[in-house]
Amino acid sequence: MRRGAIVRMVAIGVVVGVAVTLVAVLIPWLPDSASKEMDRITFTYWFATVICIAIFALVAAVILYSVRTFKVQPGDESDGPPIHGHTGLEIVWTVIPAVLVVAIGVVSAVVLAQNGDAGTNPLQVRIVGQQFAWRFEYPDEDDLRSGRELVLPLGRNVELELVSVDVIHSFWVPEMGQKQDLVPGTLQRLVITPTRLGSFPIICTELCGLGHSTMRSLVRVVRPAEFDRWVEETRAGAAGGDSGEGVFASAGCGGCHALEKAGTNAQIGPPLERAELERAAEEAGQPLEQFVEESIVDPNKVIRSNYRRGVMPETYGDTLSQEQIDALVAYLAGAEE
Amino acid sequence: MTATVEHETHETPHVGTHYRPPQRGILMRPGLIRAAWVAGLFFLLGMYIVVTLRWIAGWDPVYDWELIVLVGGMVTGPIGFLLGLGAFDYWLYWIAGRPTRPEDHSGHGAQTWKDYFRVNTDHKVIGIQYLATTLVFFVVGGMAAMVFRAELAQPGMQFMDTQTFNGLISVHAALMIFLFIIPAFAGLANFAVPLMLGAPDMAFPRLNALSYWLLPIAGIMFVASFLAPGGAFATGWTSYAPLASEQPFGQVFFNMGVQWAGASSILTALNFLVTIITMRAPGMTFWRMPLLVWANFTTSLLVVIATPFIAGSQFFVMFDRVMHTSFFVPDEGGYVLGYQHIFWFYSHPAVYIMMLPGFGIVSEVISTMSRKPIFGYRLMALSLIGILVLGFSVWAHHMFVAGMADWLRVPMMVTTLLIAVPTGIKVFSWLATLWEGKLHLTTPMLWALGFVSMFVIGGLSGIFLGSVPIDIHASDTYFIVAHIHYVLFGGSVFTIFAGIYYWFPKMTGRMYDERLGKLHFWLTFVSFNVTFFPMHWVGLVGMPRRVADYAEEFGNLNLVVSIAAFVLGASVVIFFYNMIVSWARGPIAPPNPWRAMTLEWQVSSPPPIFNFDEIPQVVAGPYEYGVPGARHAVMHGGALQEAKV
Repeated sequence: MRRGAIVRMVAIGVVVGVAVTLVAVLIPWLPDSASKEMDRITFTYWFATVICIAIFALVAAVILYSVRTFKVQPGDESDGPPIHGHTGLEIVWTVIPAVLVVAIGVVSAVVLAQNGDAGTNPLQVRIVGQQFAWRFEYPDEDDLRSGRELVLPLGRNVELELVSVDVIHSFWVPEMGQKQDLVPGTLQRLVITPTRLGSFPIICTELCGLGHSTMRSLVRVVRPAEFDRWVEETRAGAAGGDSGEGVFASAGCGGCHALEKAGTNAQIGPPLERAELERAAEEAGQPLEQFVEESIVDPNKVIRSNYRRGVMPETYGDTLSQEQIDALVAYLAGAEE
Repeated sequence: MTATVEHETHETPHVGTHYRPPQRGILMRPGLIRAAWVAGLFFLLGMYIVVTLRWIAGWDPVYDWELIVLVGGMVTGPIGFLLGLGAFDYWLYWIAGRPTRPEDHSGHGAQTWKDYFRVNTDHKVIGIQYLATTLVFFVVGGMAAMVFRAELAQPGMQFMDTQTFNGLISVHAALMIFLFIIPAFAGLANFAVPLMLGAPDMAFPRLNALSYWLLPIAGIMFVASFLAPGGAFATGWTSYAPLASEQPFGQVFFNMGVQWAGASSILTALNFLVTIITMRAPGMTFWRMPLLVWANFTTSLLVVIATPFIAGSQFFVMFDRVMHTSFFVPDEGGYVLGYQHIFWFYSHPAVYIMMLPGFGIVSEVISTMSRKPIFGYRLMALSLIGILVLGFSVWAHHMFVAGMADWLRVPMMVTTLLIAVPTGIKVFSWLATLWEGKLHLTTPMLWALGFVSMFVIGGLSGIFLGSVPIDIHASDTYFIVAHIHYVLFGGSVFTIFAGIYYWFPKMTGRMYDERLGKLHFWLTFVSFNVTFFPMHWVGLVGMPRRVADYAEEFGNLNLVVSIAAFVLGASVVIFFYNMIVSWARGPIAPPNPWRAMTLEWQVSSPPPIFNFDEIPQVVAGPYEYGVPGARHAVMHGGALQEAKV
């Protein structure tokens, strides 16, 4: 190979490499990290990126150089040199990629082990997924429940225990990197250590049916003192009996139904405004409260037109207590405040 | 081999004269009309079985229309269709001890366009049947993509409900995978492999015809699922249990469609294996086979070993629904993750089923168009074997976040990353083949070079996904969508286009329009990258896949993606215009327009009815470019006589 060829090819490779590096650096490819785990994922990501930029620059340089230099002149019907191979080269491009991928593998394995380590005394949180809502329970805090948001203290290891009551869902907070499927019939586990205050979206990333794209919630990271205060307040709220509003949120009704006073606008199931419910009860020929309770416990008995049978879980009669159902019925169908 | 040769010589008198079958009534003649009424009859038979059994058992309702459609429409009806078409006639006459009639397998060659709508045993006709059919489903699947890209152009819901959206993405993927990429490769190989081996046809021509006709059944089932109450199957092409067993009836169209497509794949693969092992021309040792043949040999092994697994997984899901079994019902002892393990045990090798034939095509094109021997031929073949073996040990990398046994993740990561080594060998060998060559930048060569560069991007994003911690962040996001489209579109589809342009002169005897071909390439190449590259970003920063609605912040970029997707869709129009007009009126193609060395180019374009008027004697490797006086094979008169003895 002539020296000029090598110089020109290296030049093309450097140009491509710089261009790709600019694309890699100038665009914020990953969300700003909000957890220790995401910091490590970001490190692994950049480790792999550096290697990949080098490989891409090499391949692009050879293709661009070859197309420019070896393009045939019109009318040239001759063949190229009969080179059948080169054992040395073939060994080189077998061994070097193998070494590089093993390096990525080692880094990844170490990061994986660190990201799965909950340390001593982690905060236990149980996450329950169902079509199409999230529910959060704190077994360490007398089984405190929260349907509206996941509240986590800054800087403490959190060990999430994930369960699903129906189909497979997947828990993901982009800023925290970690992701885990919720598999019905099994208990899954995930570790998160929040490092940044703020609210971040919780997204379901496993197609779970009609309302998959609206199955979202929020995680709010607060200072430890504020977390304790939140626990106290929420527990006090719960001690006074379940409010209908609270049950509506914690049972995930808003995942599918629109209700203005609860601030939800999902359209999987029929809207639950009082006027709508009255009309439906009239069509069904039942008193309003009886109709609402029956529709919670046995949702497939009466189906409004334009909505599908078998979408709403039939399990609320089991998962909610009678007091909770009463509170919910009162919230939806009780006397107007 | 001998049996096949006797069979060929037996039919030789028909060669050259159009064989006219004795006239039977239009209803009784094998063909689409008989297929229609026999399919109807068999539907009634299936209905009768269901109704009778339900009546005997006393189940209510006796007329369960879902079961009637399932048994009558998706099992007995298609069998009736094949029977009416004549796919089984020869075997049935033989079984019944009656004289077999040559027209029952329609002889060889196609005289008119009508012959492409019949059961035909000529591998060249079947190859074109495969390609035409798969391109139709490519268009249908592409139009599904256009519709849901219109919905995704803006956040919020505009044109459809979420069930329709989920149905469109699922049908899009199912058609592109099972009805386009996998069978399009089978079609190209069907045409090219027997020619490249120096064989007169495939080992089992009637089986070959049957495996083609199983395919439209699967395709029609996928598309017809839109007519089902509740809409098309809407659980993605992965169709995870338990969601899939509680979805509306459309889901069953996927469960059963996969069975027919899978049967087609398995039969074709067996045919390729036997053909490649037993029907090589004299002198064609394994180490003298073109790399396309090597690629189809390894692909066929993958298909035969892996495909039964997806068949099983879909049957289990369907049984959970219709027979109330509990394979994947957790409350009744079912194993939810079992579905994913079985599914991916097929569907990961399926990625290589969709990739290895493309590697073969690109090796042919790059070597020929660079006028140089392929660099490191033996290592190229061995790396295919390496991918075949490693390909069976990586399935669980699709399940890093699925909740399977923790210890399984690191070993699966290591094998996944190691598969980059044989793949890298192939890429570097192609680059070395270009080096100091005489590059003819024809349309097939542009597609091949486009493939190498796009596939490298897809391969590198695969390295990210192979690393478990990064995968945990990126899985089930648009990053995955970007990755699979760089691999399957920038990878597989680019090679399919390379192959179609490369063999178009051989298939049709006419040349395509080079300018339109290049326009098609550049338009596709640019719009492809604008469509799929931004998806890497939206995925990593927080947009999950398979959502009909998404956060406002991704609105502008999704609009760009949608517009580019429409351009990408429009670029296909140029391709079809070029193919159709060139086939009808293009300039007559010489036997060997690319001055290639492999055997298919040593015969006329299109090839003679039994491929070779004399059996070629293979004397060297297939890529001896630049070696003075070297030839892959010699044709000498009298070889056919010797073979007969």
